[in-house]
Amino acid sequence: MVKLEDLRQEAAGILKSGKVKYIIGYTRGTNGFRPIPAFIKDPDDVENLIWNPACVHNLTKFIVDEKKRLKKEKNPDKRPIGIIVKGCDSRAINVLLQEKYINREDVYLLGVSCEKTGVLDEKKLNKKLKGRRALQVDFKDNGSWLVTTDSGQEKIQAEELLADRCIECKANFPVVYDIVFGDKSLRKTDRPFQSVENMENLSQKERWEFWKEQLDKCIRCYACRSACPMCYCDECVVDTISFAVEPDTPAEEKAQKIKWIEKSPNLSENIIYHLTRAMHLAGRCIDCGECERVCPLDIPIRFLNKKMEKEAKTLFDYEVGFDPGKPSLVSSFKDEDPEDFIR
Amino acid sequence: MEKILTKKSFPEWAEKLKAYKIYAPILDDGTWSYEVINKAGDIDLDFPNTVQAPKKIINPQREVFLEFGRSDEDTPEIKEVLPEEKPVVIFGVRPCDAKALTLTDMVFDGDSKDVYYLKRRNQTVIIGLSCNTPPSPNCFCTSVDGSPHSEEGFDILLTDLGDRYFVRSLTKKGDTLIDLGKALFTAPKANDKKELTKIHTDAEKKLKREIKDVAKIPPKLKEMFESPLWDDESMSCLRCGICTYLCPTCHCFDISDEVTSVSPFKGYRIRTWDNCQFPDFTMHSSGHNPRPDKASRLRQRIMHKYQYFVERYDHYQCTGCGRCVSKCPVGIDIIEVLNKVRDYG
Repeated sequence: MVKLEDLRQEAAGILKSGKVKYIIGYTRGTNGFRPIPAFIKDPDDVENLIWNPACVHNLTKFIVDEKKRLKKEKNPDKRPIGIIVKGCDSRAINVLLQEKYINREDVYLLGVSCEKTGVLDEKKLNKKLKGRRALQVDFKDNGSWLVTTDSGQEKIQAEELLADRCIECKANFPVVYDIVFGDKSLRKTDRPFQSVENMENLSQKERWEFWKEQLDKCIRCYACRSACPMCYCDECVVDTISFAVEPDTPAEEKAQKIKWIEKSPNLSENIIYHLTRAMHLAGRCIDCGECERVCPLDIPIRFLNKKMEKEAKTLFDYEVGFDPGKPSLVSSFKDEDPEDFIR
Repeated sequence: MEKILTKKSFPEWAEKLKAYKIYAPILDDGTWSYEVINKAGDIDLDFPNTVQAPKKIINPQREVFLEFGRSDEDTPEIKEVLPEEKPVVIFGVRPCDAKALTLTDMVFDGDSKDVYYLKRRNQTVIIGLSCNTPPSPNCFCTSVDGSPHSEEGFDILLTDLGDRYFVRSLTKKGDTLIDLGKALFTAPKANDKKELTKIHTDAEKKLKREIKDVAKIPPKLKEMFESPLWDDESMSCLRCGICTYLCPTCHCFDISDEVTSVSPFKGYRIRTWDNCQFPDFTMHSSGHNPRPDKASRLRQRIMHKYQYFVERYDHYQCTGCGRCVSKCPVGIDIIEVLNKVRDYG
């Protein structure tokens, strides 16, 4: 088990010694059981840190934020940021390292093991509780969770409530860390692409009908893009004004900016948005599932990225986020590639 | 006008409203949403609050203003497009969402009139459902001059009395709808009214969330434009648009031209929702952005609702529906932020 006391002690230590600027972790929120991201600067505040199956957020997005903030500062404090990473989150760190978006010394990684389970799917929990309200969800013993509701406590097999991405997870123990908490007890995943395979079994017509209905719901709040640690571009195709525009950018250059996607939240434009995003994440998505979790309309966005992950695996034997030294999928090729155009 | 309608007769009444386009909350793939109803029997008024407010019907995310095109090189053609002329009924609107429409009226039906909004608004009859229990754990309507049985913005308000609805018509539009099913309604008896009062009083006590001393907030905010509080509270913000797009009172928009065909040249001028939480909302063509960071954008959201709008219209531009709290991916909680503002310094 991850001992929260150990985690807090380490956090207090690295804050006291000044080794890190601040720590990004999880703390109690005000909306029922849901934890929220915490930014802890004061060693006395480490008591607020928590760790439970509802700590779903991929906090590495805030490293991207910090990086953008530092760029604007005149005398930036370049000490590392302490950050709590689950297995999937640590893979995101590896991708950011691989793409040279961050340096290893920018972060101090406090790894936490998901220990044979993973994180909670709130929708599954709500279904299970049938109207009762969850106040707290905790790790119990191996493979089960303790759910505290407004009408008592119950032990539930984690499998019933696990997020789909955790069921298909290939790294429930961090793959990169400075210090790690919890046991390295990997859960076996027999079918890492089960959800995609289920989708592939449908006919083309059925899939089209499914996606038409799903993507038609999109209100383009861009929460999927906002939550994604890999969506760090300064310039995004959906923004009306390019962020590459500076006060001294010549008018001719501004006039040449192409409008890739219209503002109309209709099926055609929504599809362009989601497919562009899926393509940009091919070979980069580490399946933290944040895009799908944050979607207010419950669009199963994860499928699109998972499909690309499967393509990368089957066509190029490429797995994302395990080796930061490896060339990235889209910026490398092999001499023995059967396609002629590449040579 | 006050009436009683049994739940058994309810579908029959709804069936009589065939001349109207009917919207009601439906559960689609786990998400409650106001959608067009083809069979009145499908209406289920036992629902928590919907993910999206019914503002999407009155102020749709995309409104076409005009069609433009060119049939030959030299002849531009422009055609005005107005919303479809069709009376609409929305069933099951919550008091917070109806009140939100009255706030948006102040903006679109103020000094300048927005013909698109007003056309939709005026052809829509709003049938409310009072909240016997809070539909969301984050409801806080009573903190912002609202109530679970507020009548503001309704044509008819229904209150669930178990096997029947207490029906209160508040406008002529409402009376007309009741007249269409006249025989189905009966006059309320003394015990119906007694039960109604009890349910309404009990409902107010069930709210779990509250902003205390809310009146202290607008003057306090006025002094807090430069406060470091905004940096702290916005640290976890992802800059997505959930809070504002789901908000029943947010109404900011953008106007753009979309070309749908180059040959023959054709396109639309449209209005779409816009969002103060997006970095490009205030981006100038010069490259300067007066709200360059998430702190200034969170401040804008709070200030607009609890200071600027209050100063201009004497109302909070927030009805306490709790959607922004429930759906924020990182748990930014407007109630907490406002409590901190009140106690700041």
